Amino acid sequence: MRRFRLTRLRLVSSLLVGSLAFAGVGYAASLGLGSKQLHAWRQTLTKGTCNQTSTTADDTYVQQALPTSTAGGTATTLTISPVALAQDYAFIRFNLSGCSLPTTAGADSAVLTVRVTTAGADTISLFPVTSSWSSSTLNWNGVSSLTIGSTASGTFSASTTGNKTVTVTADVDAAIKAGTLWGWELRATSGTAIVAIGAAENGTAANRPSMTLNYEK
Amino acid sequence: MKRLTRILGIALTAALLSVGVASAASLGLTTGKLGAGSVVVSGCTSSSLTATRNVDNNGNVAQVNVTGVPQACAGQTVAITLENSSHTSLGAASAIVGTCTGGCTVPVTGFGTVSAANVTAYSLSLTQ
Repeated sequence: MRRFRLTRLRLVSSLLVGSLAFAGVGYAASLGLGSKQLHAWRQTLTKGTCNQTSTTADDTYVQQALPTSTAGGTATTLTISPVALAQDYAFIRFNLSGCSLPTTAGADSAVLTVRVTTAGADTISLFPVTSSWSSSTLNWNGVSSLTIGSTASGTFSASTTGNKTVTVTADVDAAIKAGTLWGWELRATSGTAIVAIGAAENGTAANRPSMTLNYEK
Repeated sequence: MKRLTRILGIALTAALLSVGVASAASLGLTTGKLGAGSVVVSGCTSSSLTATRNVDNNGNVAQVNVTGVPQACAGQTVAITLENSSHTSLGAASAIVGTCTGGCTVPVTGFGTVSAANVTAYSLSLTQ
């Protein structure tokens, strides 16, 4: 058996081999540890616009003084009154079925526009409605059976006539996922004046409610 | 001189073997990881999972929900990147799949302030 002699050359060679092997194993190990991803996918989204006009709107107002009246369903203006024992609440919704949005879709932005036709120093608040109603049947007595959010989605001042806009993105997004947009109850949360906004039946198109909707699906 | 050549040859062979092993490992693992834009079989699911998002009233992404995650994926991490049309990340967040009966819905929050209007794709992954 030959005796092994550690020459300078052998030492350098050994170090070189060891270093490269160590680096290789380290590289492989790092790849292995970083690659525990089991399942990956990509979901692309389609963007679109589906603006709403009076043709898809349904609206009414209900009257505390006439609790069984459904006359608001065909009115050309929607009265909103904070007067005690004679309160009036307005309701507006849009039928989004024409947008063909699945419940996995969502609103990127949604803005409701109403036009104040009779002004008064009131703050009008919009409360989201999440249960079904129809302008042909809803009256004051029926409001208590609706599911209405207790937090206002937005407000506007009715102190001047003209268009008022309210951002309702979160409500519409939630409604798309729920399958149906049941709209909002509009009532005065401050002030004492009786105000009015244009209804979908209003003879002047510019007075009617509308909503811009940008969506993804 | 002959001995030196032999030693250097052994050194070179060992080095190439090391790099080769590393490269093989990287190729194998990378290939098993992804199929771009579609579903890849994994340990807990081969199904296509759907992500939906909720927004706040400002139109910013508040939460992304991944639905239909099998119970077998419990304990794994769902990672989501919100991308714009240039495939640039607008925000990323992750959550651990909990225990549930049937398909799990995994809510993922913490993307920062990201306008939903700018998000054109979700990049998702399940990892151990």
